[in-house]
Amino acid sequence: MPKQPLIKLKDAWKIYQLGEVELAVLRGISLEIAPGGFVTIMGPSGSGKSTLLNIIGCLDIPTKGKVFLNGKDISELSQDELAEIRGQKIGFVFQQFNLLPNLNSLENVMLPMVFQGRPENERREKAKALLTILDLEKRISHRPAELSGGEQQRIAIARAMSNDPEIILADEPTGNLDSATGKMIMEILIDLHKKEKKTIVVVTHDPYIANYSKEIINLKDGQIIADHKRAGKVLWKK
Amino acid sequence: MIKEYIKIAIKSLRRRPVRSWLTMIGVVIGIFLIISLLSLSGGVKTAIMQQLRMMGKDLIMIMPGELTDIVTTFIGGLELTDDDIEAIKKAKGVDVVVPMTYKGEAMRHKGEKKTVLLCGVPIEDGLDILRTDMGLELKEGRWPIPGKREIFAGYLVPEDIFPGMKVGAEVTVRGKQFKIVGVLKSIGNKSDDSQVYVDLDIFREITGERTGAKMAIAKAKPDYLVEEVVENIKENLEETRKRRKGEDLPSYTVLSSDKITGIVGSIMNLMQIAIFGFASIAVVVGGIGIMNTMYTSVHERIREIGIMKAVGAKSKTIVLIFLIESGFFGLVGGIGGIVLGLGLAKIVEIYCQTQHLFLLKASITPQLILFGLAFSFIIGCLSGFFPAKKASKLKPVDALRYE
Ligand SMILES: Nc1ncnc2c1ncn2[C@@H]1O[C@H](COP(=O)(O)OP(=O)(O)OP(=O)(O)O)[C@@H](O)[C@H]1O
Ligand SMILES: [Mg+2]
Repeated sequence: MPKQPLIKLKDAWKIYQLGEVELAVLRGISLEIAPGGFVTIMGPSGSGKSTLLNIIGCLDIPTKGKVFLNGKDISELSQDELAEIRGQKIGFVFQQFNLLPNLNSLENVMLPMVFQGRPENERREKAKALLTILDLEKRISHRPAELSGGEQQRIAIARAMSNDPEIILADEPTGNLDSATGKMIMEILIDLHKKEKKTIVVVTHDPYIANYSKEIINLKDGQIIADHKRAGKVLWKK
Repeated sequence: MIKEYIKIAIKSLRRRPVRSWLTMIGVVIGIFLIISLLSLSGGVKTAIMQQLRMMGKDLIMIMPGELTDIVTTFIGGLELTDDDIEAIKKAKGVDVVVPMTYKGEAMRHKGEKKTVLLCGVPIEDGLDILRTDMGLELKEGRWPIPGKREIFAGYLVPEDIFPGMKVGAEVTVRGKQFKIVGVLKSIGNKSDDSQVYVDLDIFREITGERTGAKMAIAKAKPDYLVEEVVENIKENLEETRKRRKGEDLPSYTVLSSDKITGIVGSIMNLMQIAIFGFASIAVVVGGIGIMNTMYTSVHERIREIGIMKAVGAKSKTIVLIFLIESGFFGLVGGIGGIVLGLGLAKIVEIYCQTQHLFLLKASITPQLILFGLAFSFIIGCLSGFFPAKKASKLKPVDALRYE
């Protein structure tokens, strides 16, 4: 029996109502992401990559169609139920890092654990351990404004890891970084996939990561125009 | 977890210190007004009530004119006639009647001339009532002998009006020599403490006001109900009035000391309610300031709200964080207002006491402080409620896209 997919989208549509006009950003997306997979989403700007990633990450729900997480339909859940799922099972890494400017590194990493109600000492230890792994133990009490882009993105990765999520979603995590730093961030993600066995979904234009990834979803105008895994070749190289 | 949320809230307040302080000042002013005014009016109330309570329970005050225009009575020179006094004396249950009258007179002492309020009281009949029922006590000297030109003076007379005046000093009023034989202990307010008292007969002799009195105090006999005696006095006065037909006759106010205490007490309560009402408006304005700041804050932090939601914060968590912020504005503003308000009340208290204006003690009770804290905190939370709700309703995707 095949393994149950971790995430499954069935004919998912995202339609925005802009006044009189309907804008279909995602148009009938169906896909499956297996546990332990490493998926790359590619496509031109405005093709709906972020929208798709947000739906995969329970940050948003489709206008039509279904989303299953571990076989459970989440497309009808309330905002708070989705928040619960995000807090427990999903870690996000964004292009703009999205750290809270008032909190220092340690507090930023502890934040998702606060929302899960984990006790103080447990939070502190876990956050310190993560920051140490990512070579940031000297930056524990710095605020985001006092850190380089690469450091901020590593803090964001530590934050994404703090509740031991099943999936890590990254939306152009290297988009605001120079190529060397970007490579370092990508290697961290690859490490998480290899060593921690995390399921990872990345939106990126980076050929390095695309090469590593065994599954590439290519979007255009809100539709999957090619699925690398199914086609058996790297379609994004034009 | 609440501890963490408090930390998060305070960190964001600290990021904009000027705005936070300005917001709090709004609350500070409101609570300052409420607390200082309530504390002072509470003090005034206790002081007045204390003075009233010194009056014996069986005393009845008779004044000419209606209670409602008591001010015009005092200024307009309405008087009780000798007939009236007789009528009161004859009322069933009346033990003693002490007519009292007063007049501003120039008084000379060692070449100095000051105007004092000279009170005529019948020493023979009235001294007992003054001492036991009105609470007058001698600080030094003795009470005057009826029919002699002897004066006893209020506490402030040797302090303020004729500094250095001693018991035994000679003073002149209308060319007649008098001797100061006694000085009273303080009664507690400046005007009463500045009076000088003389036997009624002597008063009439030197002022030329041979009849009548400004007011009278009657004492009920011990085995009569005071309120019954009040009614009897009223009846007798009405009858005397009817006999003097044809004249445009004044009415009377007859009140037992209990009634007076009750009336004054309820006036004081009304005053406090009014004060509270007006000062509350200032607090509400402070609350609107908080609301304004919170809306701005929510608007500025849309992205942060999105981030917190993306990493698992539920709506109620967001509400809580924003409510803590606005509650904090309220509470800290409230603490500031309480400290300043009580400080002002204390200063006024000290001023009144050193100036002998009024024996005022600012009422600083734990209830008042708790009330101030609770009121400011609740106003803070209420003002933050709608902004917090707005923040919590933001969808994470939209909030994260917001620039
Ligand atoms: N809330 C919204 N209301 C209206 N239109 C929206 C909204 N969110 C996204 N869109 C539109 O949906 C389309 C897809 O957006 P999306 O952010 O998914 O693109 P993307 O593929 O991630 O692009 P990029 O590579 O530039 O990040 C865009 O045209 C965008 O304008
Ligand atoms: Mg995007």
